[in-house]
Amino acid sequence: MASLPKRIIKETERLVTDPVPGITAEPHDDNLRYFKVTIEGPAGSPYENGLFNLELYLPDDYPMEAPKVRFLTKIYHPNIDRLGRICLDILKTNWSPALQIRTVLLSVQALLASPNPNDPLANDVAEDWIKNEQGAKAKAKEWTALYAKK
Amino acid sequence: MAKIDSSGSTMPSNFIDDLNYEKEDSGTCDSHNTSSFTLTDNIQHRRTSLVSQESEFEIEDFTYSDDDFEYDDDDGEAYDSMLTKPVKHSNKKELSEGAVPNLSYEILTTQDIFENMLARVDHLQPIFNMPREDILLLMQHYDWNEERLLENWTERMEELLVEIGVNQADAKPTDIKVTEDIDEKEISEIKKRGITFKEHFNCIICCEEKDTKTFSLECGHEYCIDCYRHYIEDKLHSGNVITCMDCSLALKNIDIDSIMGHNSSKKLMTSSIKSFVQKHNKNYKWCPYADCKCIVHLRDTSSLAEYTRLHYSPFVQCDAGHRFCFNCGFETHAPADCNVTSAWVKKARKESENLNWVMSHTKECPKCEVNIEKDGGCNHMKCSSCKYEFCWICEGDWAPHGKAFYQCTLYKNDENSKKTQSEELSKIMKKYTFYYRVFNEHEISAKLDWKLGQTIGSKVRALQEKMDISWIEGQFLTDSIKILNEGRTALKWSFPVAFYSDASHNLTKIFVDNQSLLSKAVEDLSELLQIKDPEEIMKNKLEFYNKSGYVENRMYALMECGRDLLCKGICKPKD
Repeated sequence: MASLPKRIIKETERLVTDPVPGITAEPHDDNLRYFKVTIEGPAGSPYENGLFNLELYLPDDYPMEAPKVRFLTKIYHPNIDRLGRICLDILKTNWSPALQIRTVLLSVQALLASPNPNDPLANDVAEDWIKNEQGAKAKAKEWTALYAKK
Repeated sequence: MAKIDSSGSTMPSNFIDDLNYEKEDSGTCDSHNTSSFTLTDNIQHRRTSLVSQESEFEIEDFTYSDDDFEYDDDDGEAYDSMLTKPVKHSNKKELSEGAVPNLSYEILTTQDIFENMLARVDHLQPIFNMPREDILLLMQHYDWNEERLLENWTERMEELLVEIGVNQADAKPTDIKVTEDIDEKEISEIKKRGITFKEHFNCIICCEEKDTKTFSLECGHEYCIDCYRHYIEDKLHSGNVITCMDCSLALKNIDIDSIMGHNSSKKLMTSSIKSFVQKHNKNYKWCPYADCKCIVHLRDTSSLAEYTRLHYSPFVQCDAGHRFCFNCGFETHAPADCNVTSAWVKKARKESENLNWVMSHTKECPKCEVNIEKDGGCNHMKCSSCKYEFCWICEGDWAPHGKAFYQCTLYKNDENSKKTQSEELSKIMKKYTFYYRVFNEHEISAKLDWKLGQTIGSKVRALQEKMDISWIEGQFLTDSIKILNEGRTALKWSFPVAFYSDASHNLTKIFVDNQSLLSKAVEDLSELLQIKDPEEIMKNKLEFYNKSGYVENRMYALMECGRDLLCKGICKPKD
C-alpha cells in the first residue's frame, strides 16, 4: 500500500486523542482510508438516543477532494436517501481542503438536528416532512428506535 | 419573377461589400468573399445560375419547382411580399435567405470574447472605482452579466464585495478601494498578500513541516505552495472564482499567475468564458467540428423563428470554413430542416446501444439539452454546462420547487405515453432501416470524397508543373470538389426528408425523382474527379464545368422541392 499522507495520519491521531463528543471514527485495519463512523442523534431532534453507523472513505486526492460519506443505518430524513447517501453542500460543491474529517462529521450531525426538506434527496420523506411535520418527526423517531438502537 | 432575377443578379456585388462581418480587419475579407456564394440564399442562387447558364442546362427540370412556387398559397402572401423586397445594404455580414430575414453574425474565439469583456471592464472602471482585477472578479462571479452585477452593486455594494471575496468579511469600508496597497499593510506583516519563503513551515493542509514557499491572502490563511498549486490546478477548469481554501476571499489573476507560473489564469478565464458561452447558448454556438475553436455569435435571434416557420435553416460558416446550422448545431442539412434533422439523428442514435444507455441513465438538461447523469446528491440539479437549475423528477424549473416540490408526481403519466410511442416506432422500423442504409452509404462516400479532396491540391500542382497551367486556371478542380461535397451532403440529408414524407403524395414522388437525378449527377462528378492523369484532366476541363454546374442546379432543385414538402406538411418528422 502506498504510504499514507501525513495529513491523514494526523487527522486520524487527533480523532483518537481528541474525539468529538457524540462522534467516533476509526480507520479500518486493512485500509487506513476507510473509516467506521458512529454518530449519536442530537438531543432535541427526532434522532435523539439513536446511534447511527456511517462509512467514510478518503479518496486518493484527499484533501483536495471531499471524503465520501454514507449512512449505513436506516434513517428517516429528507436529505438522506434509502441508500444512505447524503445531500450536503460541503460534500459536493462547497468542499474545501481546509475542512477535515471532524468538520464533515460535525456537519452531518448538524444536518440531523436541522433537516432541510426544501432541498430534498428522499422525495417522499421530504414531502411528508412539509405536509405533516409532526407525523414525519414521529416516524423518524420510530425508525430511530427501530434501527438505531444503542 | 423578374424582380427576383434582378435582385439575384445584382447580389454578388452587394455581397462583397457586405462581407466584412462586423470585423474591421480587411485581411480576412478575401476568404469571406469566396464564401459568399455558398452562403447566399438557395432561391436566389438558383435563379442566378438559371440566368447565367440557361444555355448549358436543361431548363425543363426546373419548371415544376417554379410551379410549386406559385401554388404555394398556404403562407403565400407574407411569403411573396418578402420575396419582392429589395436586397438591403448593410455593413454587417448578411445572409439573404430570400424569404427569411437576414442573418448577421460574427465569428469569435474565447480570446476575442475575453478581450470584449476586458473592454467592458475598462468601461465599468469609472463606475466601480476599483482596480481592474477586482472588477474582473466581479464580472467573473456574475458570469459576465453586467446588468445583474450593476443591479446588485447599487443595492448592496459592501456585502457584495465580501460575498465575492474582493474584501474580507471584517474589512472596514475604507479598505474597499485598495487591496494591494502594501505600504499600509506592512505594519501587520502576517496579513500581506503573496508568496513568502518560510523555514520549518507547518502546512495544515498536507501536515508536512518543511522549508517552503507559502502563499496567503490578506486573511492570513497561509498554506504551502504545493498545496496551493494542487488546489488551483483542480479548479482552473471550473471557470469559477477561486477562493482561499479556508474563507471566501478570492484569488485574483495575478495571484494565480504568481503561484502557478505565468498565464495559468488565462486557463481559468478561458473556462469561465466557455461557461459563459454555454450559458448563453441561444446567441453563442460553438462550431461543432472537432477541434474547431470558433464561436459564432448571433446577436439577434428573433429571425430564427422565421427560418423555422419557413423550413429554412440558418446556416453559418466559421472562420475555418466549417458550415453548420446555427439552430441545431449540425452540419448543413438542406433540404432537411432542423426538425427533420434532429428527429432523424435522434432516431439513428436510438438504434445504437450506447444511446440506449444514455437514454436510460441520463436526462437532457431542459434548457441546453446536454445529457446529464445523476450520480448522487439530491434532485435539485444544476446543469454544469448552462447553470440552469431544475428538478430531476419533473425536469421543470427549480424556482417554484422551493416549497411545493411534490407536484413532481406528474411525471408518471408522461412515461406511459412514451411507451406507446415506442411501439409505433417499431412499426416503421423496416422503412427506416432502408433509408438509414442509404443515408449511411452517402455519409461514407462523403468521407471518401473528403479524402479525394485532400489529393486535389497535389493534382493542381501536377497541372502546374506538367502542363504549365496557372494556379488560378487549375482552380476548377478545387471548385468541383467543393460542389461535389455540397451535393453529397444535400443528397445525404434528402433521405431523412424522404423517410418522413407521405410516400403516396405526388410531390414526394417528384422529390424522389429529383433525388435520383442528383444522385446520378453526384456520382458522375465523383467519377470525373477520380481521373489522375493531368493531360486527361485538362482535356475534360469543360466536362468538369458542365458536371459541377449540373450538380449545383440539381442540388438547388432538390432543396426547393424538399422545402415544399415541409411547407405543405407532406413531410412530418416524428420521434
